[in-house]
Amino acid sequence: MATFDFGIMTRAQYRRDEDIPARFTELMEQARLAEKLGYVSFVKGQHFSSDPFYEFQQIPLLCRIAAEAPSLRLVTGINLLTLHKPLDVAEQIATLDLMSGGKVVFGCGLGYRDVEYKAFGVPKGQGARRFEENLEAVKKLLAGGPVTMKGSHFELDEARLSVPLVQTPRPPIWIGANADVAIERAARLGDCWYISAHHRFDTLQRQVDLYKRALDRLGKPYPAEIPFRRETFVANSREEAIEMVRPYLGLKYQAYHAWGQDKVMPEGDNDLGQDFNDLLEGRFVLGSPEQVAEEIIKFHRAFGVNHMPLCLQWPGMPQSMTLEAMHRFAEEVLPLVRQGI
Amino acid sequence: MQFGVMQRGVFPQGEDMRARFGELMEQARLMETLGYDSITKGSHYSTYPMHEMMQLPYLSRVMAEAPSLRLNAGIVLLALQKPLDIAEQFATMDLMSGGRMIFGCALGYRDVEYKGFGVPRGAGRKRFEENLEAVKRLWTGEPVTMTGSHFELDGARISVPLVQKPHPPIWVGANADPAIVRAARLGDCWYVNPHQRLDTLERQLVLYKRTLDEESKPFPAEFPIRREVFCAPTHEEAVRIAGPALKSMYEAYEEWGQDKVMPEGDNDISMRYAELAKGRFIVGSPDEVAEEMLHYHRVLGVNHIIMSVQGTGLPQSQTLETLELIATEVFPRVRQGM
Repeated sequence: MATFDFGIMTRAQYRRDEDIPARFTELMEQARLAEKLGYVSFVKGQHFSSDPFYEFQQIPLLCRIAAEAPSLRLVTGINLLTLHKPLDVAEQIATLDLMSGGKVVFGCGLGYRDVEYKAFGVPKGQGARRFEENLEAVKKLLAGGPVTMKGSHFELDEARLSVPLVQTPRPPIWIGANADVAIERAARLGDCWYISAHHRFDTLQRQVDLYKRALDRLGKPYPAEIPFRRETFVANSREEAIEMVRPYLGLKYQAYHAWGQDKVMPEGDNDLGQDFNDLLEGRFVLGSPEQVAEEIIKFHRAFGVNHMPLCLQWPGMPQSMTLEAMHRFAEEVLPLVRQGI
Repeated sequence: MQFGVMQRGVFPQGEDMRARFGELMEQARLMETLGYDSITKGSHYSTYPMHEMMQLPYLSRVMAEAPSLRLNAGIVLLALQKPLDIAEQFATMDLMSGGRMIFGCALGYRDVEYKGFGVPRGAGRKRFEENLEAVKRLWTGEPVTMTGSHFELDGARISVPLVQKPHPPIWVGANADPAIVRAARLGDCWYVNPHQRLDTLERQLVLYKRTLDEESKPFPAEFPIRREVFCAPTHEEAVRIAGPALKSMYEAYEEWGQDKVMPEGDNDISMRYAELAKGRFIVGSPDEVAEEMLHYHRVLGVNHIIMSVQGTGLPQSQTLETLELIATEVFPRVRQGM
């Protein structure tokens, strides 16, 4: 029987006029509620210098959540691997895997913001190269033995992980990808493509086809776990859901546009700055429980997705709205999805 | 006097690390109930043949078990890192912990780490200094523009505000004399190292104070020291239990080259336990341990002692016992004697 699970994807981004210690306490409440309601994962993205928003850092936050919600899988979704040193990342993932009893998923991607590339001393043109060599090094390190490898910006001289992994052979590797070339890379290097939140359904149809063909060429099977995140919300009707999220989700996508996220998206679906009513079509999953379930089932049938981290909170949105939506997704939407697939 | 515990979290290959992790959490909960002041975690990468958990993930996790203890990253190998990464992670941790972070930092010395992070060995000091400058500027919370030798901050700013104002205390770890001068110049205090004998430290303290004077900086209000500490009901029992563990730990240090950055005349850590212990380890009965701590306080002015109580191989039951014995028997003796 096909399975389907929800997770919570938090960006943990807030407006700069929000009470940030209070938001942290609320986030811990979300983690406890997620565990109680049967969500399977907690996903945290990664950005640095997150102007105009406040944002918590990925690995410290996931480590803290491991204490709050010990049964949830903890997903770095995604880690900007291009910016980091592979020994640093592999070691931190291993420690988190140990502390969480084997709950880590290592999601990774290239990143796209100049302020981040500069601060980590990575020339913009070297993103793809560093990503690939870093991932190769991380995989070798996660294998557990001593690793000797010379990269363009590091040298592993019999380096090895300081703690053993709990998961064998290693935590799953999800690769985030927006552009076509990145999707082919995800097929080549990842355990699965972590399907983007930003793309329209029709764009994904074309790209999933691209992904499948790339897997075929590599002789790799379609992954058993296909995760995809979506901006989503449930209310009594589609109109009500749209009106409720508009001020928060709209603000977030204006920031994406200003950050240049859409510059790495494919031609024909690369304007996140468009009017909100146009933006949401085929992209955001908003509506009544029945409408939302139907939409999710459509994604499942088309792409085989079976693990959906829900993005349920955007900068400025009050906690009560997020908690209410978490309840309705778990109690009303998930049963409909599981019946319908 | 504040009392902290260094949870080194170092265990030999083959140990059940999930069980050891659970035990460390149990120690943290006990420290919370016994009134300890701080938890310290060091940082090393690629620690074979020992197992060790990573510093910032560990502190992010343990803060949930001990919500009133300060959390000391002692020390961050700052020469290896990117300043935006470190400034951001500390800001998040300061927020998550309600303002309990301490930022210990130093250069590091192991080749496998320098290579792994792509830092040329000769660039360590320069990177440490520019990274620390960048971290301090980022911690103002304002946009920072600064070009370093291996990074460029282009209007970058940390993503959450610090709870502690102006920023978490900056403790600079130092062994060698030039490093002590650097600690006086750049840190809120020198984080006095565990390896040097007391007589060496007395000499280095003069250097530290002279440099503070030259910089017109006052002697720090908080002056921390890390020491290997073990306490048992009697002197003999303390030495019998802790001696072999401490000796084997120092053999590992020697293999890693720790002694190469220690000053001439006090850079041989290969001797027998009894000699190694002299002026270096605080091991004994509650009376002896308290007396020794008071001696350090009088001679050096230290007022925050960070104790490594679980030398390599010491079982959990003994660690818990010594934590309890120190809190109930040593804390009051030291506080009375000051």
